Amino acid sequence: MPLDTSTTYPLTKLRLDGRRWNELRLIQAQISTNPASSGSSYLSMGNTAIMCSVHGPAEGRRGDASGTAGGAGAIVEVDVNVAGFAGVDRKRRAGGSDKQSSRIATTLRSAFQSHLHTYLYPHSTISIHVSVLSADGSLLAAAINACTLALVDAGIPMPGLLTSCTAGMSGSASTPKDPRHDELDPLLDLSLPEEQELPVLTVGTTTSVPVGENNMDEEEGEMKVAVLTMDSKLHSTYIETMLAVGIDGCNQIRELLEGVIKGSSGA
Amino acid sequence: MSNQRQASSASQVPHLSPAELSYLYSSLSLPKTPIRPDGRSPTQFRPLTAETNILPGTNGSARIGFADGTQAIVGVKAEVEKTVLANETLARNDGGAGLDRGEQEGSAAVGGHGSWVQMSIEIPGFRDDDALPVFLSEMMRESLVGAVGTREASDMAGGLKERLVINKRWHWRLYIDVLLLSQPLAYPLPLLSLTTHLALLSTKLPKRKSQGEEDPFFDDDWAVAEYLYPRPSLSSGKTNSTGSSFVRPPVTLLVISVGENIIFDPNREEIAVADAVLAISITRDSEAGTLKLLSIRTVDPPSRLTQPGVPNSENVSMLGAVAPTEDVAVLNPATGEEEVPGVWRPRRGGVKRSVIAEMVKTALKKGGVGEEVLEGLEGVEVS
Repeated sequence: MPLDTSTTYPLTKLRLDGRRWNELRLIQAQISTNPASSGSSYLSMGNTAIMCSVHGPAEGRRGDASGTAGGAGAIVEVDVNVAGFAGVDRKRRAGGSDKQSSRIATTLRSAFQSHLHTYLYPHSTISIHVSVLSADGSLLAAAINACTLALVDAGIPMPGLLTSCTAGMSGSASTPKDPRHDELDPLLDLSLPEEQELPVLTVGTTTSVPVGENNMDEEEGEMKVAVLTMDSKLHSTYIETMLAVGIDGCNQIRELLEGVIKGSSGA
Repeated sequence: MSNQRQASSASQVPHLSPAELSYLYSSLSLPKTPIRPDGRSPTQFRPLTAETNILPGTNGSARIGFADGTQAIVGVKAEVEKTVLANETLARNDGGAGLDRGEQEGSAAVGGHGSWVQMSIEIPGFRDDDALPVFLSEMMRESLVGAVGTREASDMAGGLKERLVINKRWHWRLYIDVLLLSQPLAYPLPLLSLTTHLALLSTKLPKRKSQGEEDPFFDDDWAVAEYLYPRPSLSSGKTNSTGSSFVRPPVTLLVISVGENIIFDPNREEIAVADAVLAISITRDSEAGTLKLLSIRTVDPPSRLTQPGVPNSENVSMLGAVAPTEDVAVLNPATGEEEVPGVWRPRRGGVKRSVIAEMVKTALKKGGVGEEVLEGLEGVEVS
């Protein structure tokens, strides 16, 4: 049964879990959680909880076709596992992986393959293992953040933290935006009930690389969008608002994650 | 990858040369005082950290991390399911239609079914229909559903299966999902079993408000939920001083024998030279306060798959270089096979009865390993 955010939100301006439109859920994160891996992290955004561990860069498996293909740089392998107990109902799967987890894995692989400085590690493999312990919306965004932390913990060079966040609209937003009386608000960091009924956009941003002679005079806080995924239908006039809100959320998360990394290095 | 996947019960065999295997074997089989690679005593477990109730979305959950970095998380979820009545039950109900209702209910108490407990194990690098996860989950499940309490009065008299019965038409289905978070560095059975034990201890089922044969409905206050393994009520009194008088889920221990020695919680290298690998499930007998044996499974020892060493007398390149007296085959007292000391021979399987009896005795005896493990687990606060 869909929960009607669309009827209560315009009245109260409060979302189902009591947040305002621009509020993130509580983010808790930890790095170096698993001493058996090169790098590992635990991240929870609200009730979404993810553990991530990184192995490598290590020599690729022998007899694998990728052994020759990785000549130019390291190959990123991602394995996503959504635990059976992650959702509200226990989900049974056939054959080991489902559509949702393999989509997240593909997105993570392409995002980090281009984000990391893989050229430093030719003929090697960086394998990332993501376990979703509890799923409550924004899975991809939380997985990206958890992977970033684990990769930082593993000491794999990257130009900047790749952080991600979801943004949505507080209604179906299927008609063009009316500039005179705009009733729809953009929403930040959607939970599962919101994600199921509202249009949702996942944004991942990274800080730009300070290179060359522009190194000195670059503006602070300049960033680029690295990941952008959207599954739902939305009128194109709303995209810009959602993108702006999402990017703002990514910035907030980046500060939080930086705090986690700096905090744990001192300890 | 394909090699790794084929490794079934043997887990991954470390790449050790015959000389290394022989060295390990002889140090582990030293009479009375085996020397283990990590310096533990034969009955000592690896240090571990444990916590329970870590996942709010499950009925019960636990995490255990061994000091070597292997971690497991177990989540238990329970669902209400309609009981499919077996033909015989239906027939019996038809036949007994003349009886008055009360009597019928008394006699035809529906027994639980082992298939109501479902267990799945997720190991990175393995599919969930690979041999190792399937074998492990079946091994742990059978002792879980097989455990039957002894005290007639307690709720757990019929064991876990009976506890899952709500009424004749409804029952709980228990999903136990085990997540191994890192590549198994050793045979993961002890880790998974201990974690499952803790998760089941912390599992709560919502309090039932309906009665008898009504369709079940439950109190939505989680604070009054009841433990799956019920704790002794304070009013009933007669609690042991240790507080261990209630029925607890069983624990499966991994035991190996090397020569005459019995070694608990072996690591990967130790398993590689084992004569016999046994998985022993034990539980506490709630009545007597002692331990009892639930099941024994033999696990295919990976030492069968290792390469044999070549004694100097048979080595062509050493021909004539050694005096023939140097390697005389002696009888290994544990296996009854002729062996040259210092030369590795793959174990052929087969273990003496007395060794198995000794293994079980060490696990069960008062103040023995089983007691130590269960007491350690009882020390973990289940909130």
